[in-house]
Parts: sequence; structure tokens; C-alpha cells
Amino acid sequence: MARIIVVTSGKGGVGKTTSSAAIGLGLALKGHKVVLIDFDIGLRNLDLIMGCERRVVYDFVNVINGEATLNQALIKDKRVSSLSILPASQTRDKDALNKENVGKVLAELGESYDFIVCDSPAGIEAGAMMALYYADEAVVTTNPEVSSVRDSDRILGMLASRSRRAELGLEPIKEHLLLTRYSPKRVEEGEMLSVEDVEDILSIPLLGVIPESQAVLKASNAGEPVILDTESDAGQAYQDVIERLLGETVDFRFLQAEKKGIFSRLFGG
Amino acid sequence: MADASIEFKGSSFTLSVLHLKTPKTADIHADLVKKIAQAPDFFYLVPVVVNIEQLTCSVDYQAIKALIEELKFTFVGFTGSVDKEQRALIRELGFSFVNTAKANTSAKSTTSKQNHAVKEASSAVIASQGHLYTDKVHRGQIRSGQQVYAKDQNLVVIGSVSAGAEVIADGNIHVYGSLRGRAIAGAKGHHKAQIYCQNLEAELVSINGNYWLSESIEEHWGTPVYIHLNDNELTSSKLI
Repeated sequence: MARIIVVTSGKGGVGKTTSSAAIGLGLALKGHKVVLIDFDIGLRNLDLIMGCERRVVYDFVNVINGEATLNQALIKDKRVSSLSILPASQTRDKDALNKENVGKVLAELGESYDFIVCDSPAGIEAGAMMALYYADEAVVTTNPEVSSVRDSDRILGMLASRSRRAELGLEPIKEHLLLTRYSPKRVEEGEMLSVEDVEDILSIPLLGVIPESQAVLKASNAGEPVILDTESDAGQAYQDVIERLLGETVDFRFLQAEKKGIFSRLFGG
Repeated sequence: MADASIEFKGSSFTLSVLHLKTPKTADIHADLVKKIAQAPDFFYLVPVVVNIEQLTCSVDYQAIKALIEELKFTFVGFTGSVDKEQRALIRELGFSFVNTAKANTSAKSTTSKQNHAVKEASSAVIASQGHLYTDKVHRGQIRSGQQVYAKDQNLVVIGSVSAGAEVIADGNIHVYGSLRGRAIAGAKGHHKAQIYCQNLEAELVSINGNYWLSESIEEHWGTPVYIHLNDNELTSSKLI
């Protein structure tokens, strides 16, 4: 049985797609068979971040409507052969999905993949509900900022009440907190919520802390998920996330502001 | 708000409870007449609560009430550990359903029924206005956008109440975590209702219609506290 992981947040622009791409690629690099699904119908972004936008022929909605088979729509990643991407449709809206057909597609994918990573759209409407409905685990992506934390709290409420697991009374969805765009320096200056603040409010286990990084924007524009940038702190933090998802215990890094050494002070590093 | 001409206060009384063992009104009538004949003065206008717990099938509640009154008892209401539907039916017919404060089920009732009654009684609290409140227990955090209402009950939250969440109870509210959302106790009008929490960071607290917004909560912000009404004024006091 594949593990179905939804990457969700409530609020937009917090890094869901960036995280989905990093997690999908990271798991595939570890040798697992992974499929990444873009649930953001109408605002297709995942293929851009993954750098496969020129290879989209059929999309998720075509598969749902029976206009294409899964094999026709799935795009094999050029970097890692065990990773596939199911892109969203650019021309349709979120009503194009329905629970029953999404369930069928996920079941079919579940037969041949180890992980199904669902990139959720923002908001709490039908599209986001569809993305989280079948999930076994949720990566709740949150910025250290009050409105993002509030929206994540709302989504956690939805995970506990509106998912398939909740409706059938099964074991609840396993929740993970992924804190993105974290700046230890601004936390020290009291401008940003700290990891402890967010953990206290949401009270779910911490999966990772991704530092604010120039590398993320660069990676997005290049269509190379940031996890491939092993030099960057963001890339390394996502690698730690993968280890934790696979059950390893890894210390959290990048939580302290860097102390400026004598050289960087002198040369303005 | 204070009504000078009347005041509600709660007291405990000993009431006679009539345990029904059959739904047949004719049999009940005959046995009652026999009983009354033994001590006619003793039973005259005595308030009676009818316990229907031992009945396995439904009974004509209206006929029972008529029968009780015909024999010059004062009918109070029905009692016994019965399911929700039956309670609702009794209320619908316009009769009050009285909860027992102690487990006083008869020896003949099944153990499961007894356990149920004991459980119900142990969590029961007699509120000062004569209401009998049981506890509604919510395990886990109440998240933003969620609302939990303990109708005719106290609400116990084992976890935190997030900002943007709302907890409402007709009785008291206990939060064994942080209270960051809204808490409304004594929602149906109950001035002795209280709100207890381990950490007060609420958006709003209200008791019997008197409320504070977070900006009015200064003294005990971020501490374990309980909130109550003191002469119709909201008051917060340190919990520990």
C-alpha cells in the first residue's frame, strides 16, 4: 500500500508546491517509487517547479474524465526514473474533480507506487478538501507568522473531521508540521514567531524547519527542486525532512542565527 | 437583569420514585390502589417521579401521568436511565425528565444499565439553579473554525482551544490547556457558571451574557485562571 501524503496549508504562498517537489524528489532519490500529483487545478505550478512543463500532454482532469490513461498522463522525471508527475489542468477549474474518480485514480497509482504526494491548492474549498480526503499523512506547511499559523490550525481541524479516515472512523491522519521561510535572526529580534511558539499553538510533531533562503527562488525559476541544491541550507533542511519521513531521527539544523565571524565582518560576508 | 420579585435557587428534596415493572396501566392502577388503601393520608398529594428504567417496551406516558394524578399524587416527571430517543419523546410530550443524582437503580436492573447510571451519576454535578449537569468531555485540541457546544452540560476540554475556535456550554467550561478562542459558559442563562483554564489567552470569555474581549483581560493574561460572576461582574481569579 502506498503512503498518501498531502502537502497542505490553508494559506497560499507558504511553500506548498516547493515542499511537494522537494519531498517527492527527495523520496525518489532514496530509491522509492513516487508519484507527485498537482491538485491545484487551474493554477498549474508543480510542473514548472519540477521543470517538466514542456512535456505536459494529458493532465489529471483528462484521466479523471477517462480521456486519457494514467500512463499517458504521467510524466517521468528526467533526473530520477522512479519519480512521476501527474500535472494539473490549466484550463479547467477545481470542480472538475470528484471524490469517487479521484479515489479510483489514487487506488490505481497505489498499486505501483510507494508514495503518492498530493500538492494541495490553497484555501479550504472543494479543491483543498479533495487533496486531503484520501490522505494517510499530512505535511502542514506553515510560515512563522500569525495568519499562516491560524490557517494551518483550520486545516488541521479539517484533516480531523473531513477526511476519509475521519468519516470512516479509522486511525486519524498522521500530521506533520513543516515550518518554512524561517529566519532565526528575525526570531531573535522578536519579529517572527519561533519554532516553539508555532509548536505550542498547533501542537503537532515537527517534521522540519526550512530556513528562508535565496536558493528556493533560484531553484523554482530553474525548475530544479531545491533539494538538489545540496550546498544550500534549504536543500539540506529538506534532506533532513526526507530522513524524518522515512523514520530516522535527525537533529534540527538552522534554528540559530549564524554568528558572524571575523572574516565575514571584515568583508561584509 | 436582577428581578426583585423573584429569585431562583436550587435545593435538594426527597421525592418518592415509583418504579414501573410493567407497561400495563390497568395492572399499575390496581396495585397503586391497593398501596394507597394501606395509608391513604400518607400518599395524598405526594410528589411522585416515575422511573421507567425496568420497562422493556414503550409505555403510554400520557396514560401514566393521568393515572398518577387520578389517584391524587402530584406528578413531577419521569426518570431512569433510558436512551436519548426516549428522553426526547418524553420531552416532546411536555413532561420533564428528571436525572438522578445518585445511582438508585433497583436491584433487578441489568448490570450494564447500572454501570451506565453510576457513570452518569458520578460525573453529575447539581448546579445551583436546580439544574443537573453532566460533563461533555472533548479529548484533543479544538481548532480554529470548530465549535463545540455542551447543551445542558458542562464542557471539559482535554487540550487547548485555538484562536478562532468557540466553546459553549450551558454549564461550566474547563480547559486543560490554553484557552485562545472564545468561551461562553452559562449560555442559557446561569449566573453561577464558571470558566476554568490552564492558560488564559482568550479572544472572548462570557458568562451568562456578561463578556470580556481579550483587551479587557489584563490581570491574569497567560496564567492559569478561573472566571466567574461576582454580583453580575465578571471576575478572574488565580487558579493556583
